[in-house]
Amino acid sequence: MAYSVNISIEAPVENQIQEITFDGQEIYQTPLSMSESLAKLAQKIDFSKTGYEELKRETEAIDNGAEEENASKDNFQSSIWPWDSVRNKLRSAYTETCVLADVLAIAKEKRYLVLDPVQQEQHDSKSMTSIYARKKALAGAGSVLLTGAERLRASQTEAARNRAVPDFHIELLRLRQNWRLKKVSNTIIGDLSYRTAGSKFAQTGMFEVTKAEEESDRPNSPPPSPGANAKPASALRVSVPSELQGVAYIEVLCSQKDQEDLCSASINLQHSNVTTYGADVHWQQRLESAQNVLFCKELFNQLAKEAVQLHAPIPHMVVGNQIMASTFPGIQLIIKLRHSTGEGEKKAGHKSDHDHVLEHSLHQLLREVHHKNTHHPFPHPSSAPLGPSKRRALAGPTAADRYTLLEMTQSETLLEQIIKQAQHFFTRMRTEFVLDSIVKEVKDPLIVTHWNALNSPTLSCVKINIITHGYDTVCRTSLVIQVGEKMLKCVCRDGKVMHMSYEPQELRDLIYCQIYQHQIQAVQSLAKCMGWHYLANSSHLGIGAVEPLGNACSCILASPMGDRLIAVRCEPQGGVLVSIAHSPKKDFFSGQLVKERKWENLGGGFKEVRWDKMEGKNFLNKMELLMASLTSS
Amino acid sequence: MGVTVLQPFPVLDNRTGPQTIDFLTKRVMALGAVQSGQFLVDCDTYVSTPSLPPQRTVHVVHNSEHPASVFAVLENGPKTVPLVADGLFDLLMLKIKNIYPKKQPKIESKGPRFELADFCIKLGSVTISQNFKGVLVEVEYRPCVVAGYCSGLMREFLQGFLGSCVQGLPPYLQNRMEEIYQPINTVEQYLEHFAIYRKPAGFAM
Amino acid sequence: MESKDWGSMSQLVTTPLEQITTALNIIPNQEYLLQGSVLDNAVEVLLHRLRGLCDNVDTSPEPFYDHEMCFTIMSMESGTQPQPLSLRVRRATDYPDMPFQLRYIGVPEGTGNNARPTIVRSSIDIGTSSTIVEFLTELGCRLDFEYVARGYMFRKGRMKITVSKIFKLNNNGKPPDATEPISQSYLVELSVLAPSGQDAIAEDMRNFAEQLRPLVVLDKIDVKRIPMSMS
Repeated sequence: MAYSVNISIEAPVENQIQEITFDGQEIYQTPLSMSESLAKLAQKIDFSKTGYEELKRETEAIDNGAEEENASKDNFQSSIWPWDSVRNKLRSAYTETCVLADVLAIAKEKRYLVLDPVQQEQHDSKSMTSIYARKKALAGAGSVLLTGAERLRASQTEAARNRAVPDFHIELLRLRQNWRLKKVSNTIIGDLSYRTAGSKFAQTGMFEVTKAEEESDRPNSPPPSPGANAKPASALRVSVPSELQGVAYIEVLCSQKDQEDLCSASINLQHSNVTTYGADVHWQQRLESAQNVLFCKELFNQLAKEAVQLHAPIPHMVVGNQIMASTFPGIQLIIKLRHSTGEGEKKAGHKSDHDHVLEHSLHQLLREVHHKNTHHPFPHPSSAPLGPSKRRALAGPTAADRYTLLEMTQSETLLEQIIKQAQHFFTRMRTEFVLDSIVKEVKDPLIVTHWNALNSPTLSCVKINIITHGYDTVCRTSLVIQVGEKMLKCVCRDGKVMHMSYEPQELRDLIYCQIYQHQIQAVQSLAKCMGWHYLANSSHLGIGAVEPLGNACSCILASPMGDRLIAVRCEPQGGVLVSIAHSPKKDFFSGQLVKERKWENLGGGFKEVRWDKMEGKNFLNKMELLMASLTSS
Repeated sequence: MGVTVLQPFPVLDNRTGPQTIDFLTKRVMALGAVQSGQFLVDCDTYVSTPSLPPQRTVHVVHNSEHPASVFAVLENGPKTVPLVADGLFDLLMLKIKNIYPKKQPKIESKGPRFELADFCIKLGSVTISQNFKGVLVEVEYRPCVVAGYCSGLMREFLQGFLGSCVQGLPPYLQNRMEEIYQPINTVEQYLEHFAIYRKPAGFAM
Repeated sequence: MESKDWGSMSQLVTTPLEQITTALNIIPNQEYLLQGSVLDNAVEVLLHRLRGLCDNVDTSPEPFYDHEMCFTIMSMESGTQPQPLSLRVRRATDYPDMPFQLRYIGVPEGTGNNARPTIVRSSIDIGTSSTIVEFLTELGCRLDFEYVARGYMFRKGRMKITVSKIFKLNNNGKPPDATEPISQSYLVELSVLAPSGQDAIAEDMRNFAEQLRPLVVLDKIDVKRIPMSMS
């Protein structure tokens, strides 16, 4: 009772954690009320377990064990009042303290009692328990790790099992890299149309992406696949609308009225026309072919629309999947949409003369339209409205007149463009044919044609050189023919320009005319080299028999001495006629009318040279020899 | 767009406006011209309010030959500023109608339009708020843009079907013989003539 | 005005003003606008994002270099206080052959807390000849200010996005010499020019602006409410 002890009771700053969830969130206990926490804290005080108490218990065991037993007995008495144990403990503590004070007082005198240190064994037992506790904790942690590992292993084996079938999600990722996909509620919808590239075609190109089903479900899948492989190669299945299934291509045929194909071009955007129908085909190919179908449909749709709207002199016809447009009289351009969905129909013997240029152009034309739809010019300055082209923006402030404005609104339709290209194709082919046949027919002056490699779909150019073998430095006639859509334009070396229609006969005339003009010119240049004079020439001789083709050319040459004359006449039909005359006449006889000798100088009648008997490799060679012999004799 | 001459044609006392146009139409058709629709040149005049001195005048002209454009000529004392703009310029004039209210009635020249080879002929009857004022003949020679290069040709052509009322090229062009002819020049010629037609009306009032 | 009208004009001649008034409801005269700004050091990221979002990813962004002059004229409404009417003239210094652009911009609506998703202001865009500056001066307009805007523009459907840096004009007044920027940031504008009554586009603009967050925050900016801290 000598002194009192101050006990301070404090609540912890934080609430206690009741549970930590897997995501790391801590669930706290609700804080206790003041009285509850006080009671709790008070209960925590174990007055009997302090080392001091034990010490005291030992001393008591020596001295007055009975009293201590009493006190502990009080402790065990259960009480209704919550503070009962506290009071009891405090009281027993008080008693014990009093006893201790007494004991200490006795021990101080060292007469009855001596205090000795006591050997303690408790440390050992304590370490043992802690080791045990640790072992148990470690075992608990170990089991948690083990279950986790077990779970991972299970999922791993599942994934490994799935790897045999390609992973759906990986495939979906690949699909997403190349195609437009979006998720609508529980389905994945893709779009294979050309909308984003500028197409304005109304038909949608929707497709659905699903996970490939198990083997048992497969016969139910929409397009039944005959002769299917054992397992689908992909974990992903695309369902394309039926109208886009199969393979489509656009066939362009140029045919004469009697249905004889002059040329045929098969526009097949996808070069693999192998079967791409079945459901087993990889989705990439399926989608590509579906997109191709859509493209072909758009192209054909556009062409058909234009064919109906265009007012051609001979109206274009659209019948079913076929457009017929007239290019030249008697020649039609037929564009067909070929779309095969089943495997059954196989194209019978495809035409081998496949025109890659025409194929490319039709493809390109629609792509150009698409490109134009998306690539609008930007306005300058930047505040100007978007939309009007540069020409239109300039039209107002520069006061463009209505012709210019009207011109601005006019644009060529795809059909017009492809007809033009087909016309050009024809005109070019005819020109080639005419030139080649002339080259074959005419051996003497050599005709060399050179087609320019650079050309446009509606304009190409051929250069023609006419030379004579061995004399190509003496004379060379060159001309350029521009082959347009429905007409030819010939530009000669001297700047003469001639326009011709698509009729091949006109070109034939022109070339023959040029050949004979070349011959006459070559003779003249040769004569110059040989020292002969040329007296007269005419490239379109008006006398003699009427030629069915062109006109005859002629020239007259005189020897250096002036005593010999050569007359050359070239005509497309009759070939070359060469005549010679002597002056003075060799056979001058004075008659009644012409008596005097001086008249012999007038020159006599021309005598034809038997040209085929002349020596020489070609015309100029013969001429050279003739002139040489006439000069020397 | 080529050099354009605007020539007033006197209306004889015994003829009405439409009769004069008919008369000229017959002559032009006799030359072989082909009618290609109608034409219209109209002019609205806006005068600034007194609150914004000095007084300025804006003539806004539309020419059916240049359907995407609006021509405006601002007169501030001796200084004139021409402007060519998009069709929406009319909307802007509505926005500033408090400062530039429309003071004078609309004047326009309207009638048939003919084409004869490289020439374009327009026979316009000038009206101020539906009242006939006179006849203006516009002749354009499309291949040429410098007046000096085609003055003789133009004069001869005009005299050919208009007769002795054509003395030579109008003074407006005489002063611009070497310049490149612009569409605004046609508008300025119209404005000059419109001003003449307006004046007697002013005296009458 | 549809371009086909010109063909029919030879048959029928109507006065252009009549055409204008009948066509008034199809002329795009409403500008829907959202504005924002981005610091110089962040503009590259924004341009990159815009390139990805806007049309024609394959082409590089379109640069522009414009000179703008802002004129005002006092509008005398009878009985009311004179209202300034502002007219802007813009020209592309990098495209000298393109027409000058005269622009009337009305009072912006939708800047307050009302429900409109964007600013809407009436706008008349008129391409003109180069005499417009002199014309406006003689008309009685006063030059308020001028600046040079240089940057890039993008389009996304009908939307136009400009990212521009504003430069002061030097004293000599020659626009290409203007090198002094007004601030350390770029002005970002998202606009659509549409006929009146097409408010659906404003929602599209909002959605698009949302995709640019947080690189740039495009919003309805009321110019009148911005505190003028600059001298």
